[in-house]
Amino acid sequence: MSIVNRRDLLQGGAGVALLAALDASLLGEAVAQEQPKRGGTLAYAQLSANRRSAGPNNSKHPYFIVDANTKQIWSTPTWVNPELGLELEIATKLEPADDSLKVWDMTLREGVMFHDMTEMTAADAVASFDYHRQNAPFARQITKVEQTGKYTVRFTLEAGNAEFGYVLAEYNSPIMKAAPLETIGLDGIGTGAFKIVQSDPNRLMILERFESYWRKGLPHLDRIEIHNREGQQESALNGLRSGQFDAVMNIDGRAALQFQNDPNFEIETARGGYSFVIQMPKHPGSPFLDKRVRQAFAYAIDREAIVRVAYSGRFGWIGNDSHLMVTDAAFVPRAGGRDVAKAKQLLAEAGHPNGINLGTLYWSPQLPEAGRYFQVLQQSVKDAGITLAIEERPNDGYIQFRTGDNDLSKGNFHKFAMTAVGSRNPGISLFRMRAAFVESGHWRGPEHDKYLALYNQAMITPDAAKRKAIYAEMQAILHEEVPAILPAGGNTLMVKRKHMRNMPYHPQIWSIRYEEIWRA
Amino acid sequence: MLIAALRRVLLSVITLVMLAVFIFIATEIMPGDALDVSLSADEIAMIPPERLAKMKQDLGLDRPAHERLLAFLNGAITLDFGKTLISKTPVSAIIGYPLRNSLILAGAVLLIAIPLALAIGIAAAFWKGRAVDHLVSTGSIIGYSIPEFVIGTILVMLFAVAWPIFPATITASTRDPALTLLASSPLAVATVLIGSIAYLARLLRTGMVDALASDFVERLRLTGIPEWRIVFLHALPAAVVPSLTALALYAASLVSGIVVVELVFAYPGLGQELVRGVTRREVHVVQAIALCSAAVVVALNLLADLAILMLDPRTRRA
Amino acid sequence: MRLFIQRLFRRPLTMLGLLLVAIHFGIALAAPWLTPHDPLKLLDAPLEQPTGVYWLGTDELGRDFFSRLLLGGQISIVAAACAGLIAAFGGGIIGLATAYHRGLFDDVVSRFVEMKLSIPSILLVSLFVTGFGQSLAVLIGVMGLIYMMGVIRTARAQGILIMEQGYVKAAKLRGESASAIILREMLPNIADLLTVEFALRTSSALLLVSALSFLGLGVSPPTPDWGSMIQSGLQSIRSEPWLILAPALCISTLVIGINFATEGVADLLGLEAARGATGQ
Repeated sequence: MSIVNRRDLLQGGAGVALLAALDASLLGEAVAQEQPKRGGTLAYAQLSANRRSAGPNNSKHPYFIVDANTKQIWSTPTWVNPELGLELEIATKLEPADDSLKVWDMTLREGVMFHDMTEMTAADAVASFDYHRQNAPFARQITKVEQTGKYTVRFTLEAGNAEFGYVLAEYNSPIMKAAPLETIGLDGIGTGAFKIVQSDPNRLMILERFESYWRKGLPHLDRIEIHNREGQQESALNGLRSGQFDAVMNIDGRAALQFQNDPNFEIETARGGYSFVIQMPKHPGSPFLDKRVRQAFAYAIDREAIVRVAYSGRFGWIGNDSHLMVTDAAFVPRAGGRDVAKAKQLLAEAGHPNGINLGTLYWSPQLPEAGRYFQVLQQSVKDAGITLAIEERPNDGYIQFRTGDNDLSKGNFHKFAMTAVGSRNPGISLFRMRAAFVESGHWRGPEHDKYLALYNQAMITPDAAKRKAIYAEMQAILHEEVPAILPAGGNTLMVKRKHMRNMPYHPQIWSIRYEEIWRA
Repeated sequence: MLIAALRRVLLSVITLVMLAVFIFIATEIMPGDALDVSLSADEIAMIPPERLAKMKQDLGLDRPAHERLLAFLNGAITLDFGKTLISKTPVSAIIGYPLRNSLILAGAVLLIAIPLALAIGIAAAFWKGRAVDHLVSTGSIIGYSIPEFVIGTILVMLFAVAWPIFPATITASTRDPALTLLASSPLAVATVLIGSIAYLARLLRTGMVDALASDFVERLRLTGIPEWRIVFLHALPAAVVPSLTALALYAASLVSGIVVVELVFAYPGLGQELVRGVTRREVHVVQAIALCSAAVVVALNLLADLAILMLDPRTRRA
Repeated sequence: MRLFIQRLFRRPLTMLGLLLVAIHFGIALAAPWLTPHDPLKLLDAPLEQPTGVYWLGTDELGRDFFSRLLLGGQISIVAAACAGLIAAFGGGIIGLATAYHRGLFDDVVSRFVEMKLSIPSILLVSLFVTGFGQSLAVLIGVMGLIYMMGVIRTARAQGILIMEQGYVKAAKLRGESASAIILREMLPNIADLLTVEFALRTSSALLLVSALSFLGLGVSPPTPDWGSMIQSGLQSIRSEPWLILAPALCISTLVIGINFATEGVADLLGLEAARGATGQ
């Protein structure tokens, strides 16, 4: 029924026993033979949020709702499966035009209907990607998108990219109904399995089944209610217990431990879900311009304490200051652990023998553990003489707040701030450390140029093993240069009531196929 | 009497205008301005002056203060509180429904709290010095000494978690009709009610005790009128009049309480928008919420004043 | 005085109130010496159950909860008492001044008082936090200002009565300055009243500080504070309910204590503290 080999996604160590036990109960004979049913409602609370600013004017736009919901309403050309493999979605074909891997031809599925019962064609894809390439971080590499037939589209990229297909699976790559750039997407009409019937910005979204959805023969619920409870895990869990919600997405490890022995609930997990990146501004006058300060910061953080406190130990892992998740085959751990003495020495060399004040690190409750995560981080770097204030900002509008303008001459600099980072293929993950992207803190210099050259070389290397070797070389540069810090990450966890079936978790929560979920 | 009433209305309008001026001064003229609060000091230091001037111009901060004040007052009259700094959404669109929802919650609380508090206050005053009275006095001190968020949390622990008979969190939508909202929020209403009843019952008890001990009640007793008539027809109106002034003061604390309780239960009211506004440093949103809630309190004050005018002939000469 | 104390002893609730206040203030003062562990230090494990070493277990970050509980009232009490002091003193003097001068000055102040009383306190604080940033000084100043309004009203009413007294008239005849009369003749006469006002305003300020901390607008982490401790304790409302109940009990008993004590004392002093004075 499900293509997911769930066992592969479970983590090692003590967690396995717990989750294997859950698994056994879930996939018991009786359950496995049960016939999927159509209809019913799924009401869930969403704790993670990666939002622009939902106001009354834009709350139906795919960019302005919680990313995790995008694919319930819109479809993307490709889909990333739970093993992070690429599959075609509403594209039936995606191929490079030549060996340069710079030009890609896509053929769209025929007969796919929008919620207003018009057919999706190449014109819609062209209009959509014209918007995405100007607004979404990963689609910026598309320099041109043109219609080559009723259902065919040609993408031209800045540089060759063997993993371009993954860009088309992003939550910021949905196909919207063609419209001028200023208005495209605002109507909330997509080709997804569910259509929007009510949108209450910041709070609630109600979806209903779209009868003419292009994938047929699925269980397909009648209705989905998404309750936004970002930063309010306790309220969401109370709602789950009192029967108001069927599931809560993106709970933290502490909540998972509370529910693990409760027979009414099941915990679903996918390893290597999220980590946090700390972007360090490198504008004139910033302490982070000095590589030694960045290195000292990286050495001072007690990453093990973060895993212990924010991820209840077993649900977390130590990051390597790249955007790769620990589950990625290309992941290379940082050499050496925490080293307070070395951090102090580096600070002294950089001219801060009595410690340094790094200012305010901003964070937002994008995931429920974020508050604890950054409090531990703040406390642990004190040992090396590093002081920093931490200040919370709400999710709503956080992206604009955090990123400022790319153009340094405009003066509205990006902040010393964290943001959540999800699981991606290495091509996307390692691309996030380029100078032109805010998460690297606009890292520049010869080492960066070398990094980017390696990246471009990897992207046109068809051989996976050779690519992996290049990725390792790139991570070595990151470990030395520390353009940004990714201290630790955790698995994605969901708790649901037993009657929700076929609702396995996905390391990319935005790639869950809600149309396959059913209610017993 | 009409003149006295008109004078009260005029005074309320003056108070409101002063409030608007005060709110404006507190947030826009004092050391920082809208730009300072959205950028940190070290960031401002690094921004080229011409760019800073441009940003100020975009926010309308380059105009002189009195001009901006007039624009603010003008906007307040037409319920146009400007746009948010980050998303450029009209503030009135953000706070419209939440304001309505908070008023619904406050209204429901008042409708239940006032008759209950009256009954409790009368009983305590009638049996002054007896067990009932002590119980009411002690209970009401305890009732308004416990923070609302503690009461709310404990109600959730008891009636939504340990014994799940009520919803723990409010799932209704911002635009749902009043009854749907209220039906989904019994614990939120109960939380605000506890503090309100404690406060109002105490207020009314004091008023009733004074009224029952007053000379004119003594004289009525001598005429042989039945005690229940004295209590309900004579002493009660005399007790309510002085309480009404204090009632309006209570309205302000009711709003404060509701703000907190909304956060505990995820009620879609002004409290949510307020905290969002403060943490995002959205000055215009906070200004608008402060002004709207103050206007509600001023309106309640006015109503109380007018009610006193109608009930108490002595004040009509004022 | 002896009579006063004797009568005090006959009021069990008042005594209970005084006892609660004494305990809380004693703990807040002695907390730095009482805490068994560093309240900021991250111990090994978060959410440990209570043991002989960690009497109330550890909190969500693995800090000793008992130590944090002992210190959790310190900042709130200091902030609330400072605000109460500003309110009582400032309000007393301004109130008396309006009673002394009357006229335009009185009208302007009264209107200002009425206006300030119309803004719910939590919104007023939010307004200033948005404008000035979140700091303890701002918090104390704003709360002092808020509660001053109520004190001005009471002091003014009392001042008008005092103005009729012989000694004030005598002082006027001696040609003493207005400020001397207000400070030396009138202020000592309302000392009782101001003491009660100070206590009441402090209890209201305590409630306000804890609510603000609960909302994340008051005392900022990692400083221990009851309001924010309850907020973070909500995460384990089922598994470790004492993380909520203990700070809830602390803040509630402190405020109840102040209000019990104040009511009893005010009653004995013949002051009408009860009527409408608490509230915001």
